[in-house]
Amino acid sequence: MTDTEPLVRVESVSKRFPADRHAQVHAVTNVSLHIDHGETLAVVGESGCGKSTLANLIIRLHDPDEGRVLLKGVDITHLGPREIRPHRKTMQIVFQDPFASLDPRVRVGTAVIEPLKVHGIASGEAAEERAGTLFELVGLERSMLRNFPHQFSGGQRQRVCIARALALNPELVIADEAVSALDVSVQAQVMNLMLDLQQELGLSYLFISHDLAVVERIAHRVAVMYLGQVVELGPRRAIFENPTHSYTRRLLDAVPIADPHQRRTRPLLTDEIPSPVWGRGQGPELVELVEVAPGHLVARED
Amino acid sequence: MALLALNDLTVTFDDLTAVDSVSFTIEPGETLGVVGESGSGKSVTALSIMRLIEMGTRAKIKRGQAEFTMPDGSTIDLLTQNEATMRGIRGNQIAMIFQEPLTSLNPVYPVGEQIAESLRIHERLSRKSAMARARQMFDLVRIPEADKRIRQYPHEMSGGMRQRIMIAIALCCGPRLLIADEPTTALDVTIQAQILGLIKQLQVETGTAVMLITHDMGVIAEVADRVVVMNQSKVVEQGPVEQIFHSAKEPYTQGLISAVPRLGSMAGKDDPEAFHLAGTLQ
Repeated sequence: MTDTEPLVRVESVSKRFPADRHAQVHAVTNVSLHIDHGETLAVVGESGCGKSTLANLIIRLHDPDEGRVLLKGVDITHLGPREIRPHRKTMQIVFQDPFASLDPRVRVGTAVIEPLKVHGIASGEAAEERAGTLFELVGLERSMLRNFPHQFSGGQRQRVCIARALALNPELVIADEAVSALDVSVQAQVMNLMLDLQQELGLSYLFISHDLAVVERIAHRVAVMYLGQVVELGPRRAIFENPTHSYTRRLLDAVPIADPHQRRTRPLLTDEIPSPVWGRGQGPELVELVEVAPGHLVARED
Repeated sequence: MALLALNDLTVTFDDLTAVDSVSFTIEPGETLGVVGESGSGKSVTALSIMRLIEMGTRAKIKRGQAEFTMPDGSTIDLLTQNEATMRGIRGNQIAMIFQEPLTSLNPVYPVGEQIAESLRIHERLSRKSAMARARQMFDLVRIPEADKRIRQYPHEMSGGMRQRIMIAIALCCGPRLLIADEPTTALDVTIQAQILGLIKQLQVETGTAVMLITHDMGVIAEVADRVVVMNQSKVVEQGPVEQIFHSAKEPYTQGLISAVPRLGSMAGKDDPEAFHLAGTLQ
């Protein structure tokens, strides 16, 4: 590993799922990107664009059909269950629904300690001490470790999920719509927490979201996905201040702006995103990314 | 005269007060945004106006009036009407659309027939003329390929198209108030923009007043004329949209506004930045 090797490097990964006997969903097609140490890469796009599949491919919840994923220079694409295990510590994930991601019958303290035991990092009092420290880190109280998930609000539960994700000292945390289900005031508090933790622990985030206003706040770089492919990728300011691909512009134009002074009238459109389902042996045309400015890649359009 | 004057509405579920002394008015043709976080009482307020809240729940309307102005200029208190009268008002005078169009539509009937059904019930149209009006409604809500789409079933349509069908059903009898409860929350942002644009346009074309319930301050900023902010069962603050966003008086509203990510607010800044929370969120 050299100093310039990013934390994660995704090389031309594709993933297809069977739709029926004759057709496949092309969920992710030929995606390449990287995540640097300590940075937040946001992946944005609409439902079905492949952003969650991409996250699952990186964390090896899915195996790619083509391409590979490198973690700190090590190809983890073909590692077996036992070989992948030490690498799992490096990458953790927080999901959208904090109600569904915690076992209702397990005390939250136990949930946070479990990964420590599984990976043989700590047990007994040492594990409880670590769990207490993690709770304080995410703004919960130590005494809450003995509570069950239903005793927490949605925002507190998401803090529990973040504490559990941090238990193994990961370098990458994948946040898959992790703030989308939260009320706006709670969302802001959880995002502020994520920014604090990044400063304090040097975390990298893969921040998956459909909400561009949220992404603008938290991202260093942004990848825009459309029908399974990255159509624009670059520094956050380049994407938001100089959006170049027509789809990026359409997405940005659609975001309601929370300021009545900036109210716009919109043309009455009815067009919708085409289907990512293709017959066997067929597939989408591959986009060609062109670098229009340093680090700012845009898919060529006709 | 206000189209709807809600006064002191109080709704309880056993010991819990879900809506506490809520008062506001809706003028003809205007868009009133009702905004608040989960559990603040927005939907219970709407369902109380429709008199749907006491059906199959433990809810009780304890106090209040909902004075609705009928087309002939007379006013009636919706909260004291019997079910037969309310049936005549729902659909004809006040219509409602919900967040999830798939659960609001019947999966075993083609969508065209579901629009026609309302017309046959409320306007006693024949099957043939109801279908002809349904076809016109498809054009009103800008559904392309109407002749083909009218025979489709809900599962054959996208979320955005289904919500257009719901809007068509809601508007087919020409209501003067449309209550839209989180109508775009389940939709992608590009489709949300289409549906909000459509609602705005139809308001101009039909003169319908809209009560738009949402948790999304961006949606409020985009479409509301006036805003009611709710928190913990009560109205915290209400006023013109500009005033709520730019000179809110209540600490709760100030906190809410400070927590809203506003597209473009990071222009010129290289690094991510925390929210500077205000009011009650400090």
